[in-house]
Amino acid sequence: MDTSVLKVSHLKKLIQKKLIIEDVSFDIQAGEIVGFLGPNGSGKTTTLRMIVGLSTPTSGDVEICGYSLKKEFVKAMSNVGCIIEGPDLYDYMSGYRNLELLASMSKDVTKKDIDEAVALVGMENRIHDKVAVYSMGMKQRIGLAQALIHKPRLLILDEPTNGLDPQGIHEFREIVKNLAREKNISVLISSHLISEVQLMCDRVSIINNGRIIRSASIDDALVTGEVVWTLDDPQKAQLLLKSTFKVEAAIAGHTLRATVDPERLSEINNTLIASGFDITYVEHKKRTLEDLFLSLTDKHTI
Amino acid sequence: MFKKVVWPLVSASALILALVFVFGFVTSIIISGGEADVQTETQTESPENIPEEVMPPDGASDILILGDSIGFGVGDEENLGIGERYLDLLEEDSETDTTITNSSVPGFESSQLADLIESGENRTSIAGAELIILSIGGNDLNRLNLEDNVTLAPAFEEALNIYKEDLTFILSEIRSINPDAQLAIIGLYNPYSEDDPQNARFLLDWNHETRLIVNSDAAFAYIPTYELFTYHLDAYLSPDDFHPNGMGYQVIAETLFRILNYSTN
Amino acid sequence: MIALVRNEVMKILLKKKMPLIMILLLIFVGLLSYGQNYAYERNIDQFEAESGETAFDWQGLTTQRLDELEERSQNEAIPGEVRASFDREIEQLNYFIENDINPVTPTAAKFNVSFAEQGITLFIPLLIAILAADLVSSEFSRKTIKILLTRAVPRWKVLLSKYIALLIMTTLLVFIIGITTTLVSYLFFQEWGFSEPIVTGFTLFEGTLNSDSTILIPRYQYTLLIYSLVWFVSIIVASITLLISLIVDTSASAIGILMAALIGGQFLQFFLSDWELVKYFFVTNLDLTRYLTGSYQPVEGMSLNFSILILSVWAIGSIAISFIVFNRRDVLV
Ligand SMILES: Nc1ncnc2c1ncn2[C@@H]1O[C@H](COP(=O)(O)OP(=O)(O)O)[C@@H](O)[C@H]1O
Ligand SMILES: [Mg+2]
Repeated sequence: MDTSVLKVSHLKKLIQKKLIIEDVSFDIQAGEIVGFLGPNGSGKTTTLRMIVGLSTPTSGDVEICGYSLKKEFVKAMSNVGCIIEGPDLYDYMSGYRNLELLASMSKDVTKKDIDEAVALVGMENRIHDKVAVYSMGMKQRIGLAQALIHKPRLLILDEPTNGLDPQGIHEFREIVKNLAREKNISVLISSHLISEVQLMCDRVSIINNGRIIRSASIDDALVTGEVVWTLDDPQKAQLLLKSTFKVEAAIAGHTLRATVDPERLSEINNTLIASGFDITYVEHKKRTLEDLFLSLTDKHTI
Repeated sequence: MFKKVVWPLVSASALILALVFVFGFVTSIIISGGEADVQTETQTESPENIPEEVMPPDGASDILILGDSIGFGVGDEENLGIGERYLDLLEEDSETDTTITNSSVPGFESSQLADLIESGENRTSIAGAELIILSIGGNDLNRLNLEDNVTLAPAFEEALNIYKEDLTFILSEIRSINPDAQLAIIGLYNPYSEDDPQNARFLLDWNHETRLIVNSDAAFAYIPTYELFTYHLDAYLSPDDFHPNGMGYQVIAETLFRILNYSTN
Repeated sequence: MIALVRNEVMKILLKKKMPLIMILLLIFVGLLSYGQNYAYERNIDQFEAESGETAFDWQGLTTQRLDELEERSQNEAIPGEVRASFDREIEQLNYFIENDINPVTPTAAKFNVSFAEQGITLFIPLLIAILAADLVSSEFSRKTIKILLTRAVPRWKVLLSKYIALLIMTTLLVFIIGITTTLVSYLFFQEWGFSEPIVTGFTLFEGTLNSDSTILIPRYQYTLLIYSLVWFVSIIVASITLLISLIVDTSASAIGILMAALIGGQFLQFFLSDWELVKYFFVTNLDLTRYLTGSYQPVEGMSLNFSILILSVWAIGSIAISFIVFNRRDVLV
C-alpha cells in the first residue's frame, strides 16, 4: 500500500503546441514539507495547476491520498487546499464571507472550523473588513485560511511569500512549519527563492525548463563528498591517502582536500590518527543550495 | 442576514413566480393555438379551407386569387380577404365545397405577376380554377407618388403602357392554360380622395385602360371599386389609410358576388 | 447544491448589479410614461381645439362605433365567425361605456404591456445581459475561478449552480420590470385599468392572422400572459448570454457580443426577410408578445409554437455547449 499523500507521475503538458512540462514525477509523504524550486518560467505553476485540477495534463497521472484526480476528482480534491499564483478572493465581500462561501462548498465544515482557521492565520481583528481594503499580507493569510478550512491533508502553495515583507515572510514560514509539525499536513511549496526552501523544507525537487532535474532531501542535496583536513604534514598524508585508499587529494597551505565517500570517512580518519598525524580540524564541505542550483540549472539551459 | 432573510425570500419568491410564469406561458400557448391544431379543426368544419400544400394531388382549387396585397387581404381585421368573403356569400345561396387558393403577394406589381405566371409555377392552379380573381396595378400606380410634378406625367404614361402590356400578357397566358375559367379583376379605388385632383384623373385613366382590356375577353369581369369607396373612405379603409378594412373587403366581395352570380338567382 | 446556488445568488446581489438595473429601468420607464402622458394630453387638447368642443367626447365616438358594429352584426349576409368577432368588440366597447372609461386613456395596465412589447427585443435582453454577462467571465477576470474550481465539487455542479442562480435572478427581474412599469406609470396616469377587457387569442391560419378564435379577457390576465412570455424570452437570453460569458474573458465583451447579435439580427430581419434561414435565428423569434396582440404581419411558417421551439433549441444548445466547454476548459489565469 502506497502511503504517499501526493504522487505525481510522468506529467506532461502541451500549451498551444509548446511542450511546457515534460515528464515531471515526484511524491510527498505525510507531514513532509517539500520545496519545488525553479527559476521563473520553469513550469512550477503549470505543474501545480495540473495537480489541483485547474488544467488537464496532456499525459501523466496525479494521485492524492490514493485517489486518482482524473477518476475521483471530488474525493481527491477534498484532501487538498491550495493557493495558486496569489491569493485571489472575492474583493467585494469581507474576508469572513469569502471563507463562509468557500466552506459551504465542502462537506462538514462548521463555523468553528472557520474561526479556527482565522485564528491560526492571526486575522481575527480584520476578518469582517472587505477584502478590497486588505494588504497583500492579509490577503495571503486569508488565502491560507481558505486553503485550510476543510482540514486538508495536503497543502499546495505557489510562491506564497511573493509580495510579502520580511516580517510577513517570517510569520508565514512559522505558520506553515507549525502546520506540518502539529497537524501532520504535507506541504508542497513552490519557490524561486533558495533561502526560502532551505529554511522551510525537508526535501526539494528542482525543476528547470519543465523537467525535474534533482529530487532529494535538503541535506543530501547539499553534501558534496568533499572533505578538508587541517593537519601538520599535508604532503605525507597525501601520499598515505593515495597509497592506502586510492584517493587523490590536493594540498593548499596546511590543508588537504579530497572527495571521499562519506561512509569511508571515519576509517580514513582513524588510519590518519594511527599513523601519527596531528589533525586539528576535519570539515565535511557543504556547498550552498545556490551553488547546487546554479550548477544544475546551468547545465540544462538551452 | 443574507442566509436568514434574503436567501429564503429570494428563493421562495423566485419559485412562486416561476410557477406563475409557467402557468401563464402554457396558457399563452393554448390560447394562441398551435397552427396545426387550428388547421385540423377548421378542416373538419369547412373543407374549403384546405391549403394548397395539403390538397389532393388531382388538382387545384376552384377559386384562385392572384396579385397584390389587396388580393392577399392586407388590412382585413378578420383576415378573410375578398376570396373568403365571396365564398361566404356564395354559401348563403347553396351548399358548395368550393376551395380557394390565394397566391397573392403583397407588394406585387404587374410585371412581377407577369413573371410569376410566365414561370409556370401556378400552372396547375390556373388550369384547375373555375374563377380567377386578379388584383394588380395598384402598386404600379402607387410607385409614381415618388415622382415630382415635372416627371410625373411621362412617368405615368410609361407605367400605364407597361401595365397594359403586362395585363394583356397575363390574360393571354391564363387563357392559354385555361380557356374556360371566369376571370375577374378588382378595379382601383382612390385612397387619397381629397389630396390631389390630378391623381384622381390618372386613376380613372388607368381604370379605363383596364376596362378596355377586360372587355376584350368574353369571360372577364371588371369589378369597380372607385365609386364604392369614394364617399366612404373612413368606413372602408383600414388604419393604414391605404388598404381596405374588413368592411371594405366585404363590399368588394359583395360587388363581385353581385356581378358574377346575381343573374343565376 | 443548494448551498452552491445560494452562494451564487449572494455573489450576484453583492456585486450590486440589481441597483444598476433598477436605475436604468426607472429612468427609462419614467421618461416613457411621462412622454406618453404628455402626448396623450396634447392630443386631447388638439382635438378639443379643432372640434371646438369643451371636452373630448369619447362617449359619442364610442357609441357611434358601437351602433355601426351592432348594425353590421345584424346583417344576415355576414358569416357567423365574423359576427362573433364583432360581438366581442361590442362587448369590449360596452364595458368602456358602462364603466365610464375612455378607451384611449393611458393606464398602468396598458403601459406595462406596451413596455414589454417594445422592450422584449432589445431593452429587456440588455438588462438580462447585465445580470448574466459576468457570471462566469468575472470569475476569470478576478481570477477567483481558481478558488472555486479547486474545491471538492465537480465542475458541472459549479456551472449548474450558476445557471440556477441566474434563472432565479432572471425570474425576479421580470417581476421587478412588471412591478416597476406598473407603479411608475400609475404615478403619471393615475389609472390602473386592470379590469378592462381586451381581445386576444389570434391564431395563424394559412399564413394569415385569424381572429375567429379570439377571446375577451381582463387586462390583469393579459398582463400575466405577456409577462410569462417575457419571462420565457428572458430565460432564453440568459442561457445564451451564459454561453457567451463563458467563451469571452470580460463581461464587457459578453454584453457587446449579445447586443451585436440582437441589433444585427434585427437588421437581418429587416433587409433579408425573404431569406429562409433568417427565421431560424434566435433574435428573429424573440418578439413572442406579438403573437398575443395579433398586431403583426405574419411571416410564412412562423407561429408562437415555431418561435418557442426555435428559442428552446437555441437555449438548450447554448447550455449544452456551455457545460462541455466549462468542463474541459484549462484554467490558466
Ligand atoms: N497560458 C499560457 N499560454 C502559453 N504559455 C504559458 C501559459 N502559461 C505559462 N506559459 C509558459 O509556461 C512556462 C512555465 O510557466 P509557469 O508554470 O508559470 O512558470 P513558473 O510558475 O515556474 O514561473 C513559461 O515558459 C510560460 O511562458
Ligand atoms: Mg509561477
